[in-house]
Amino acid sequence: MAHYIHFRDPNAPEMTELLRSIPLCPGTCIFMDVSRSTELKYTETLVEWGRKLNNTFNILLYANHLEKFIVKGIGDEIMLYIPDEELTSRVSDNDYYSLVENIHSALFLIRQRREVFLTCKVAIHHCTEAYNITYFERANDYYGRDIDLTARLMTKCIENRIVLSEECFTKVKQDLARMKRPLREGCLADVSRKRRAKFQGVPAPTAYRVIDA
Amino acid sequence: MELTEQTADSCTILSIDGRLDTANYGVLEAKLTDLLARGHARILLDCSKLDYVSSSGLRVFLTGLKKVTAAQGKFVLCSLQENIQEIFEISGFSGIFEIHPGREQALTSFSG
Repeated sequence: MAHYIHFRDPNAPEMTELLRSIPLCPGTCIFMDVSRSTELKYTETLVEWGRKLNNTFNILLYANHLEKFIVKGIGDEIMLYIPDEELTSRVSDNDYYSLVENIHSALFLIRQRREVFLTCKVAIHHCTEAYNITYFERANDYYGRDIDLTARLMTKCIENRIVLSEECFTKVKQDLARMKRPLREGCLADVSRKRRAKFQGVPAPTAYRVIDA
Repeated sequence: MELTEQTADSCTILSIDGRLDTANYGVLEAKLTDLLARGHARILLDCSKLDYVSSSGLRVFLTGLKKVTAAQGKFVLCSLQENIQEIFEISGFSGIFEIHPGREQALTSFSG
């Protein structure tokens, strides 16, 4: 449950105390967005794009048992956050490799049936600097420099593509090594070389890779 | 997950027991490839003991269907548990696969 922050006094010492007490919540942050979503609103009717949006969220989230990790949706974009302790406590698909592989498979399935689904783009980052806090009563949210970075990674994404931060890629490689599986397993057969981008507000260049579905 | 292969008069029956996830989807993929390589293009997947599937498993089902269809065979599923049926429905898979409620009905579909 998110730590709720709301004080009338901008300098309330209780706010300082509360903020200092909030623990880090390491986990995987995922942004998923529908490609060319604005264009769709002009070329298709609500019945057409509304139905496809329903189907797309179903295959990305519900078919992968990720619905409980939805933090929020903004238009056609969804943010998910999967705390490490919740990921590892799952019975199946309980590692970083599984997360990436399943999302890649969902993008593949979407591409096979464009009459049913909308093509998507996805950014995934493993966050260490993230906090489960909210400024709005009864809401859930996550803040921190790594959440912002995940949103920035989306700018490097195009349809049918996963942009994976180097931190997340490292976690995936560690999973495969632990399972004694090849490092080019599944979707990683198509992973790009390391790329770097300089994002506004982020002091150092960010390393990332892309995987096309 | 465990796979059991049985030969019936009209098809090969592959029973899936357990959870089909990213740890083992390759096993099913390899089995389907092996069956096709051995000329078994009429395949019944008995899912009565399949109790978990995600996108990577669905992908194997879809590529299996495509390969079998290309080989002019028949790919049929039967006995899906309620939670698996739900995943097939929300993924739009119910409409593209031939799915029967039980093994007997599925076997009958091969005899036509």
